[in-house]
Amino acid sequence: MTYHLKYLPSILLACCLLLSGGSLFSQGELADEVTAESIVQDDPATSATTSVGDVGEGAGDYGNGKTLWNANGCGACHAGNMKDNLTGPALGGVQERWAAEPREHLYRWVQNSQALIGSEESARALAVWNDWTPTVMSAYNNLSDGDVEHLLAYIKGQYTGVGKPVVAGEVVAVGPAEETDNTWLFVILGGALLLLSLILARITSNMQYMVASKEGMSPTRRTLLEVLTSKGMIAFVVFALVVLGGYTTVNHAIELGRQQDYQPEQPIKFSHVTHSGLNQIECQYCHDGARRSKHSVIPAVNTCMNCHAAIKVGSNYGTAEITKIYAAIGYDPIEDAYIKDYEQLDNEEVKEIYKKWIAQEYIKAERDLDELENEVEAQLEAIEKALTNEYTGDEKIAGPVEWVRIHNLPDHAYFNHAQHVTVGNLKCQNCHGPVEEMELVYQYSPLSMGWCINCHRQTEVQFKDNDYYKAYERYHEEIKSGERTAVTVEEIGGLNCQRCHY
Amino acid sequence: MSKNNKKVWLGTDQLESSQEYLKATDSELSIPDAAESPRLESSRRDFLKYLGFGMTAATIASCDIPVRKAIPYVSKPDTIVPGVATYFASTFVQGGDYVPVLVKTREGRPIKIEGNSTSPITSGGTSARAQASILGMYDTSRFDGPYRIQEGKAIAKKKPMDNDGYDVIDAEIAAKMPASSRVRIVSHTIMSPSLLVAVAEFKNRFPATEHVQYDPVSCAALLDANLADFGKRAVPSYHFDKADLIVSIGADFLGTWISPVQFARDYVQGRKTSGTKMNRHIQIESSMSLTGSNADNRILVKPSEQGQAIAALYVAVTGGSASATLPDATKVKIAAVAKELIRNRTHAIVVSGSNNLVEQRMVNAINNAIGAYGSTITTDRWSMQRKGSDQAIAKFAQDLEGGAVDAVIVLDGANPAWDNPWAGQIAANLSKAKLSISTNGIPNETTLLCQYVSPTHHYLESWGDVEAVEGQLSLIQPTITPIFASVGRHGTRQEGQSLLTWASSDKLDKVAEQPYMAFVFSNWEATAFKAQSGFSRFQAFWDSSLQDGVVTLAPSTAIASEEGTATAAIYSGVGLNASGVSKVGAGQEVSFFETVNIGNGVYANNPWLQEVPDPVTRTVWGNYLTIPVSWDGGYEYTAYQGLNPEEYKGIADMVDLTISGATQKITVVRQFGQMPETFGLALGYGRTVTGVSGRAIGHDVGINVYPWLPVVGGYVQYFADQATVSGAVDTEEEFASVQYHHTMGLTTKGDDGKMAYYNSRTGEVVYEGPTTEAEKDYIQPYNVDEATVMNGNGGSLGDLQGGLTDRSIIYQGTFAELGDLKGHISHQREHAKHLNDQTLYPYEEYVEDVYSQGHWWAMHVDLTACIGCAACEVACVAENNVPIVGKYEVFRHHEMKWLRIDRYFYGDIENPRAVYQPMMCQHCDNAPCENVCPVNASQHSNEGLNQMIYNRCIGTRYCANNCPYKVRRFNWLDYTTGDLFSTNEPQVQDEELAFGADNLTRMVLNPDVTVRSRGVIEKCSFCTQRLQEGKLAAKIEKRPLRDSDVRTACQTACPTGAITFGDRNIKGGDVSEKIKNPLNYLALEEVNTQPGVFYAARVHNPMEELDA
Repeated sequence: MTYHLKYLPSILLACCLLLSGGSLFSQGELADEVTAESIVQDDPATSATTSVGDVGEGAGDYGNGKTLWNANGCGACHAGNMKDNLTGPALGGVQERWAAEPREHLYRWVQNSQALIGSEESARALAVWNDWTPTVMSAYNNLSDGDVEHLLAYIKGQYTGVGKPVVAGEVVAVGPAEETDNTWLFVILGGALLLLSLILARITSNMQYMVASKEGMSPTRRTLLEVLTSKGMIAFVVFALVVLGGYTTVNHAIELGRQQDYQPEQPIKFSHVTHSGLNQIECQYCHDGARRSKHSVIPAVNTCMNCHAAIKVGSNYGTAEITKIYAAIGYDPIEDAYIKDYEQLDNEEVKEIYKKWIAQEYIKAERDLDELENEVEAQLEAIEKALTNEYTGDEKIAGPVEWVRIHNLPDHAYFNHAQHVTVGNLKCQNCHGPVEEMELVYQYSPLSMGWCINCHRQTEVQFKDNDYYKAYERYHEEIKSGERTAVTVEEIGGLNCQRCHY
Repeated sequence: MSKNNKKVWLGTDQLESSQEYLKATDSELSIPDAAESPRLESSRRDFLKYLGFGMTAATIASCDIPVRKAIPYVSKPDTIVPGVATYFASTFVQGGDYVPVLVKTREGRPIKIEGNSTSPITSGGTSARAQASILGMYDTSRFDGPYRIQEGKAIAKKKPMDNDGYDVIDAEIAAKMPASSRVRIVSHTIMSPSLLVAVAEFKNRFPATEHVQYDPVSCAALLDANLADFGKRAVPSYHFDKADLIVSIGADFLGTWISPVQFARDYVQGRKTSGTKMNRHIQIESSMSLTGSNADNRILVKPSEQGQAIAALYVAVTGGSASATLPDATKVKIAAVAKELIRNRTHAIVVSGSNNLVEQRMVNAINNAIGAYGSTITTDRWSMQRKGSDQAIAKFAQDLEGGAVDAVIVLDGANPAWDNPWAGQIAANLSKAKLSISTNGIPNETTLLCQYVSPTHHYLESWGDVEAVEGQLSLIQPTITPIFASVGRHGTRQEGQSLLTWASSDKLDKVAEQPYMAFVFSNWEATAFKAQSGFSRFQAFWDSSLQDGVVTLAPSTAIASEEGTATAAIYSGVGLNASGVSKVGAGQEVSFFETVNIGNGVYANNPWLQEVPDPVTRTVWGNYLTIPVSWDGGYEYTAYQGLNPEEYKGIADMVDLTISGATQKITVVRQFGQMPETFGLALGYGRTVTGVSGRAIGHDVGINVYPWLPVVGGYVQYFADQATVSGAVDTEEEFASVQYHHTMGLTTKGDDGKMAYYNSRTGEVVYEGPTTEAEKDYIQPYNVDEATVMNGNGGSLGDLQGGLTDRSIIYQGTFAELGDLKGHISHQREHAKHLNDQTLYPYEEYVEDVYSQGHWWAMHVDLTACIGCAACEVACVAENNVPIVGKYEVFRHHEMKWLRIDRYFYGDIENPRAVYQPMMCQHCDNAPCENVCPVNASQHSNEGLNQMIYNRCIGTRYCANNCPYKVRRFNWLDYTTGDLFSTNEPQVQDEELAFGADNLTRMVLNPDVTVRSRGVIEKCSFCTQRLQEGKLAAKIEKRPLRDSDVRTACQTACPTGAITFGDRNIKGGDVSEKIKNPLNYLALEEVNTQPGVFYAARVHNPMEELDA
């Protein structure tokens, strides 16, 4: 018996190690689950653009208004906080400003502002037009009067906070959700086992001593040093090191080539906080490939110009960054015109054009005139650096912006944005994280295969609203009969290798 | 006469297979010993170098992840969404080859050709040449600007822009070409009305100009015969779909003759097995052509007897006065054909590939006599797909020699110093012209003899128009900015624009953004727009035409005038006598033919076409002399003079072929259906210059036969008599014939010719088949491929001989006995099902579990409709980034084709019929390859796809060995990226940079398909990228998937609609309907692989009396 007992402490110690290792493993798994559970399905109701019936004056609904705001892309021109002017005026307090006129004018203004201006019935309309010429607000003939009421309610809510419902997770819930942390349990269990193994070791040692003395042999106790340098102990330590080392190596080898948290400098200090956070421009306004292509598409410079033909000076960097856009496409912000044969100009000529502009704005901003020279020079240099590339031989300022690609999938992995955004109705933030809070974008998700697979295992397919899925008759029957409530991506072949690898 | 064999066989060696042969075919990847390969030269030092380098590279590579840039547009074009393909209608045209196409572009870069289904001529079909044409644009051996040429070399400076541009070269040309110059514009057939206007403009300025049009494979006699009989020098409209009886005398109308894509479509229309009748096709020829291999009956005549055969037919049908000299047996057959023609009056058609005026007039007379005109041949729309004149090119050669030519302008594609019998004369005297200019985009033999080259665009960069058939127009529009000009070179310039520039024509708006487009535009406004009535505004008409790609005007509203006008579309021939018909030759005869891939030689630098096996001979990268095979009626056959006994080992004999005193050495290939004492040889090979040196890869492939072509009565003849074929004088050690690769299964025979059987109860090989009903269950034909592996039964194989394929790979039968065939198939399938039911894993349950909902992909291939034209093979290469490996690697069984077209023979051994079987991954639901993969790199999807995951594959090749269909391919080398180590790159020719490693060539790659690396297995994926795209389209539109969403590359390329793909679960869908055909079978169904590809048996409709 003693003979067997001898190994007990070692076994227990192994258990300890396994447990601690196990906690490592399970933490790894947990991490995956956490990200997977953070997926928030876009409620189909909110993405619909149906109008909500006519509503009395001032009786609009904040929620409906928000839906309409987003669906019609109001945020592309009007600041979401309703306090700042963007391409369009700040909308906070709009009802008060229009109070002198019949409510109907306000409806007509939103539905088709040019028609109202043309009719010359509304003094307020003419006043706004005078302030904002030549910027034209698009017509929204699809909005009913009731819709406008909802929008007004939303505007008011955003501006004053009145009527704004307190909704948990109004900003899309991203980042790890609350999870019970089991680490302490493991530590306590491990400690207990360690203690137990020590006690048992002591007991065996004592019993051996007793047996030896009983059998008349001169019993000796091994010193701690002897125990630690014994063959069994060394073998055990080597074994443990190999296992742990192997585990760590494999884990890190898998990590090779992954770039989670990769956050490179970009040629233009484009701020998603400003655009997507503060001004609440829809992601797909710029990344318009996401709904119809495998690529989400980095917007072309002419997309930037949709707004920046009007917004010429940035709130964070003044002329420093926005001028880079002008320099890429050849837009003269002073003349408000595109420069002819811009591609033919050499860099010095280009700089001359923007020098004037930067200086003009610098003076306008009433900043220290002694620094003017330096500031202009610095900005021009930055522009040249951002728009040229000595490695590829791109020596011209004119031409595209070379952004640094952040999300790099391996060549053998196929990913399609349209599938996820349009068909799956996933929010961009599911994978890209809280981009609207990122001053400089970083890779939020690991983009590892395990991460993809986990999501495919857990995400439910928008089964009922899409006739495509009619092909899965059995699932439909099962849903009808109550045998199942939902179908996951996995169940319609989402784990097939050739979904992503071909 | 030989035994009429009911069984199907693959090639020569199989008939007489030795044990060695059986062993060789036994393994999937049998290769000659690599260590013996002269191309692998690595020393110990190299090894150490590589090792050191490899370690360093690996260390460095793993340190840092490279920074990748994402560069958006400055101003995004409306038509382009990155990641989404845009299609443009255009037209593939090269001489007389014509296919209206849709060009698939991604991010402004053409990557794939599809057929244009709105075309009334081709209905969306394509050819191998059209499919491969896209690679021509990314050919690195194109000219990148105008050059002066001296002593066969383009004079180029180090920096491209230091060379003189068009303005300088044009000025030099103008100085050398006064208005009185006797200019000759030399071209192949030109079908472009606008280019012809440009030529006319040129003639206005230089009145002494003559336009010499010729075709390397000439139809001049056919055209002249029509001029004589109809008053129009053109080709009438043939309607093979309306013919119940088709008699072709040496016309390869399914492969190369006039308009093969159109004819193939029509031909198959009349060969439906579901109806009450099926057309009958009789081919009279000596060497097996693609068309002949599809015929119901072939009548073998010597090449020189073809004329006599026509005469005999003429006499028999019209009662004319000519008499024919033919062997008696042939006479009887011709008489039978004549009787059949008369019986099928007004529903028959006779075509001939002869280039003899009298013979072609006789064919016209026969067609007239059988009432073909107005029914199977109509004259309301004349085809302009051949216009060449042999006399014109002969006169040009003479004028040149006589110093009567001041300037020569050679248009694109034409190669007068190489591709005709007068080439020697032209080459020798071209320097006598004061000025010679070539507009060839790719250097050829003639270009290097000219003084200047002003290279034209590739058609995908061009504007243009085509009038292939009167009133049926199509437009060519550019799908990419001309490549070279956009990367800092002088660039190419369209030949029409060059002509107009040199003519100082005021029709060319030089300041226009695209001058030639403006020219075509105004031509259309003046002609096509006036001839139509649907549109009142020209711009609307133009936009609509550009979008559709094709426009059909009312009959007889051709916009380009032809020589002669048919006053009445009525035959006005007179009685003919046989004095003008070719005399029957003496001695051995050789016929020269055009192959479906290389054509007249103009496609020689296209490796996709070079590596497509010739459908009939199954050889690649070269032309081979086809030699007849004879059979003693017993169990031995002999090839001519016992040549090529070791063909299957990749070793072939070479012979000296002497024709009219000129001798060339050439490799032979044994060919069934080759008439005794005659030989066949493809033309178009043996080009010496196919591109800029160091980059070209098509030169010195095969031998040039043009100098051998005799000229009789002013017409080039495509056969020669009094030829001498010596015995073996040499051996070719790298004989690249894929016929012996990937053999699927053989059953065997003993020495005495008896079939061998395997008794599964006792494990013995016996020579008696089952005698009782019960024995049928366990006594089966002995299958070498399977049984040797499974039983290790090597010893008992010693006395086995022969090997006719008897597994369920091919089923064939006659239309008359369709019922029997259906019965046979159903019996065989029941038997297979019985075998397959003896399993622990019932398939039905699996189907119920997995496939009863969602998608279940399947393919159907109708072997009766498949004519073996190889369009699908090239389409697959283009779609799936399948690499090109070069001749040496093909010889080593390393070809990478995902889709191969197996050619089997059946019937009379000396004159068999052929059946073509496209063989690709069968996507077995019980796949043998999946079980053996140690790393799970081959898996099954729940939609019935056998998935290959490259990034998992470690290259054990177990799957390839376990695949009964032999469709898995291993990347032995680094084919598409270009490795740092030369031994890892395939060397096609002496090119400096391995083919496929160049950035220009790589632009052709499909971005949706992974480029496979060295050391992984690949195979047909059922174009899974297209399936994914189709599913997504349906999902986005929130509608059920339709079969039209998912069309594979091979399916869309097929001119005859032989391939159908779709979801079996769609009730009433394309494929689920086709699956009901009682002629269907599954290849090797008895091995329980449960494939996803259905084949419909090959049905032919022979005339019994001709088979005797």
